[in-house]
Amino acid sequence: MFKHIDRYRHLIPKSYKAGMLIDGLVFADEHLLPQIEADQTKDQVANVATLPGLVGRSLAMPDAHQGYGFCIGGVAAADLDEGVVSAGGVGFDINCGVRLLSVPADAREVAGMIEPLIHQLFRDIPCGTGKKGAVSLGGRELDSVLHDGAAWAIRNGYGTDEDLARIEEHGRLESADPAAVSNRAKDRGHVQLGTLGSGNHFLEIQRVDEVYDEEVASAFGLQHDQVTILIHSGSRGLGHQVCTDYLDVMHDGMKRYKISVVDRQLACVPIGSQEGERYLKAMAAAANFAFANRQMMTHWAR
Amino acid sequence: MKSRGYEILEHPADLGISAHGESLQEAFEEAARGLMAVILDPATIRPHRAMPVSVAASDPQQLLVRWLSEILYLYDGQRFPCAEFSIHELGPTWLVATVRGEDLDTARHHTRLDVKAVTYHQLDIQEGAGHARVRVFLDI
Repeated sequence: MFKHIDRYRHLIPKSYKAGMLIDGLVFADEHLLPQIEADQTKDQVANVATLPGLVGRSLAMPDAHQGYGFCIGGVAAADLDEGVVSAGGVGFDINCGVRLLSVPADAREVAGMIEPLIHQLFRDIPCGTGKKGAVSLGGRELDSVLHDGAAWAIRNGYGTDEDLARIEEHGRLESADPAAVSNRAKDRGHVQLGTLGSGNHFLEIQRVDEVYDEEVASAFGLQHDQVTILIHSGSRGLGHQVCTDYLDVMHDGMKRYKISVVDRQLACVPIGSQEGERYLKAMAAAANFAFANRQMMTHWAR
Repeated sequence: MKSRGYEILEHPADLGISAHGESLQEAFEEAARGLMAVILDPATIRPHRAMPVSVAASDPQQLLVRWLSEILYLYDGQRFPCAEFSIHELGPTWLVATVRGEDLDTARHHTRLDVKAVTYHQLDIQEGAGHARVRVFLDI
C-alpha cells in the first residue's frame, strides 16, 4: 500500500515487495493517483527498486502509466560504480522527445488556414509508416548521422547553426559510437531518417492558451494565443532495434554478473561492464539519430 | 475454437497477440500471422517470394521474441512484408522456417500501425498434449 507523505508524494515502502532494495516514490495528485493505481505502474516502480546499485528512490513522475519493465514516467538513478544500466529502462524509443517551434503568428491570423496548413505539413513531412523517407543514406553517411546528430542535419542544409543552441546537448551526444549499433538497426534506420512515425508520435499545430510564467515563456519566444508547431518523434526503427538487440545482450550477460531480475524487460548489466559501455555508446548513437530526425522535420515544417 | 489461430489483445496501453495451435510450431506461426496483421492488412500481401529464416536463442521465451523480431525486421528493415509462415523445425532454442511475402509496395500496402518492438512483457508459452498457446505484447 502507499504511505502518503503529503498530497503529492506517495511512498511505496521496501516492505511492499520481496527483493526491493530501496523505496519507491510516486508523484501524483488525487486525480492522477487512481489512474496510476488502476494498472501495473505501482508494481513496476517496485520491480525497478529491486535492481542492484540504485541510489535514492525508484521514482514515478505524474504522467506515470504502465510500460515495459519500467513504467512510463519511471526514473531511477544508478551509482556509477555499483549500479546497472538497463536497455529496457531507457526503453525502445531512445531519445523520444519533442521540438516546439514558435510560429510568428497568433491564432486569429491563421484561423481559416489550419486545414490547408495541415495538408501541406502532411505532404512535406513523411510519416514513414511503410513509406521511404525523403532521404536515403549510404552506410557511411548513416554513421555520420549517428556520430554527429543534429549537426549532421545542419551540415546538410536542414536548418541553421542557431538551431543547435536551442537543442539539449546541442543535438549531439559525444559518447556515440556507430560501430556499437547493429547492421539490423541501421537497416531499419536507413529509410526512416526524416520520418515522423506513428503510434504516439505526432506533429500538431497548437495554440498557447495559457501562460503560467511570463518570464520563462518570453525566454522561449512564446506568448498568449501564439501559434506553435509541436513535433513528437524519436529514433524510429533504429532506436527500437538497438533496444531489442541489447535486451538480449544484457539478458545473456546477467548470468556472468550474477544478476537476476523479476521482469525480463529489466535485464541489466553493470554500467562499467563491456556490455554496459557498449550499450551506452549505441544508445547515444540512436539518440543522435533522433536529434537529426527532429531537426530535419523542423526544417521541413518551416 | 478453431484448432489454430490468433487474437489481438487490445488494452489501453498495450497491444498483444494470443496465438494457439495443435503444436508449439503452429502457435509460433500464428503469432507471426498476428504480428503482420497488426502491421498491415494481410490480404494485400502476395506470397510471391520465399525467404529462409533461422533463429537461435538461449531459451524458448527469447526464441519467440527473436522469431517475431525477425518478421518485424524483414518488414521494417528489408521492406519485405510476409504473408505465409512455415516452421520446419522447432527446438527449445532454435527454429528453421520459410516465410513467403513480397517487396513492399506502398501503393498497395498501407501500414496500420508501426510496431516498435516485440517485448518480454507478460510473455507466456503454454504447451500441452495436442495444444499450445503463446502470448506476447508489442510496443507500438
